[in-house]
Amino acid sequence: MTVQSITLTRSLGRPSFLSGLRALWAVMKREWMIFVRYPSWVISLFIWPIIFPLSYVLTAQALSGRDGSGMAQFQAATGVLDITGYIAIGTTIWMWQNVVLWNVGFSLRNEQLRGTLESNWLSPTWRFAYLLGSSAPQLLSMLMFLTVSAIEFVLFLGVRFDGSLWLTLLTILFAVPSIYGLGFAFASLVITLKEANAFVFLVRGIVMIFCGITFPISILPDWMRPIAAWLPQTYIIHAIRSASLSTDGLSAISGDLKALALFGIFWLTIGYLVFNWMERRARRTGAIGQY
Amino acid sequence: MSNFAIEAKQLVKKFPARAGTGDKNVTPAPRRKRRFFARKEPKAMFTAVNGVDLQIERGEIFGLLGPNGAGKSTTIRMLCTLLEPTSGTAQVNGFEVVKQANDVRRSLGTVLAGERSIYWKLTGRENLEYFAALYHIPPAVAKKRVEELIERMEIKDRANELVEKYSTGMRQRIAIAKALLARPPILLLDEPTLGLDPQAARRVRELIAELKQEGHTILLTTHYMEEADQLSDRIGIIDTGKVIALDTPEGLKRRIDQQEVIRLELTGWHEEIADKLKSIAGIEHITTHQQGEADLWEVNLHAQNSRTALPRIVEHISGNGTRLVNMNIVKPSLEDVFIHLTGKALRD
Repeated sequence: MTVQSITLTRSLGRPSFLSGLRALWAVMKREWMIFVRYPSWVISLFIWPIIFPLSYVLTAQALSGRDGSGMAQFQAATGVLDITGYIAIGTTIWMWQNVVLWNVGFSLRNEQLRGTLESNWLSPTWRFAYLLGSSAPQLLSMLMFLTVSAIEFVLFLGVRFDGSLWLTLLTILFAVPSIYGLGFAFASLVITLKEANAFVFLVRGIVMIFCGITFPISILPDWMRPIAAWLPQTYIIHAIRSASLSTDGLSAISGDLKALALFGIFWLTIGYLVFNWMERRARRTGAIGQY
Repeated sequence: MSNFAIEAKQLVKKFPARAGTGDKNVTPAPRRKRRFFARKEPKAMFTAVNGVDLQIERGEIFGLLGPNGAGKSTTIRMLCTLLEPTSGTAQVNGFEVVKQANDVRRSLGTVLAGERSIYWKLTGRENLEYFAALYHIPPAVAKKRVEELIERMEIKDRANELVEKYSTGMRQRIAIAKALLARPPILLLDEPTLGLDPQAARRVRELIAELKQEGHTILLTTHYMEEADQLSDRIGIIDTGKVIALDTPEGLKRRIDQQEVIRLELTGWHEEIADKLKSIAGIEHITTHQQGEADLWEVNLHAQNSRTALPRIVEHISGNGTRLVNMNIVKPSLEDVFIHLTGKALRD
């Protein structure tokens, strides 16, 4: 056997907190570059904000009658004068959660199908950084989506945002941990379950029915209302409607923000714990390399 | 620091499996009293790796050979921390694969799944820059290293094109460059020439030889015997989860140098002839391989003494629609050693 006199013993990698941040940034940058290289996202960005709420808005207008007499009933139940804005915000939050479940929820699974998950997993980077990093560009694209939605609501649906932009942004900030925490937990489960379409449909169905995306919670049967109270999307939708459509100020949403802070901590913790559980399980079962 | 680049002791990996598959590596799981809320125990376990011992010297190229399902990939996956062993221990560059997994990852450059291990929607350069960050290479060093590897892999002209536009050979070179980014002391190369055209495969083999000269320890798995023979300092043959032979290529070939290989080329081959040939005294193994789509077969017979066996071989293959096209008596190759030890060809 020939053994060389020169042997390498140490690699060029120099791990530090800063190099960890650079790795996280690299994951974000990679995800963004891949995202923009599929141009179909532009269509979704401009078409969906108007298409999806429109069917609910037209249904509401049909039910309210030609003279709009039924509108008074709705206004009495919701306390909101702008029924179009009410529905548009509810459906937009639903779409946000839906997109997070598909994009963040399937981010690791898509890497697995492409064959790149293992090559990422082989590097000495903190593994949660892959999920966190691939979610950041998704959040950025979602903020673009929310902005385009708001502009289109004003231009095409005649929605009047009389509330505060800053309170709306604050509410969105408080909404992010709950929505993405659920996405993280979902992404981790999908790696193990491989197929999770049924779960996506279940979760978004629950949000659609229990969180009042197009109707007030008060019309739900008694047994359903306590369930709605345990879903963060209920508070997100209520708070964004209040912040953007009414002039009631911070006091009208402070309760929602407190609930969202608690839900955010809860769902981020759940997301992180489920990810770690999946990562340990995958090392035992070999799930990372299985298609 | 350990004397060995890689050292595995009694490495075992078992996976839950369906009972009653008939596979001899599937055994009933030990029955335990089940407690309330306890995890459901699988009914059977499949043993993919069954007590592998390996000691790979620093600076050597070690070839790991085995038929499909022999346990090569599972062994490599345990060494690179993707899988946790069920029992046994393994150290890579002196670090324990379970408890010091991140140190192991820093010591390794791994090529698994070849061209699929990189991003096709990124350029070659973007891929390398991305993985350099994941391996915590300082930016200034990374920039220089990426350029060096682009130059070395001969993709400078196309480094800014999306990988999806590359040939398989170019993608494989990017995958190898990715593994070399951090200049890790140990390289795990799983089938690095699989699917490459002969010219691209030759270039990869030359590169592997160069990497050894630069001081890398290389663990190589391959389906190509000539490649293992040409590159490896030592070879381990793995079958049904166990290392059944470990020696230099010459040492392995010496094990069957008493044998001869009668290589026949014929048309009209059928299983009845195989049964007849197996009945001839002194014939130990028969492997067949159809050459292309035509009805032309290569049949290798391992015989203790070709002179006594030949007349009976000719007698059995005459007639019955079979026509002998060519016949040679050759010295055993590494592939023949493999067949002798495992009873099957590497491509099986």
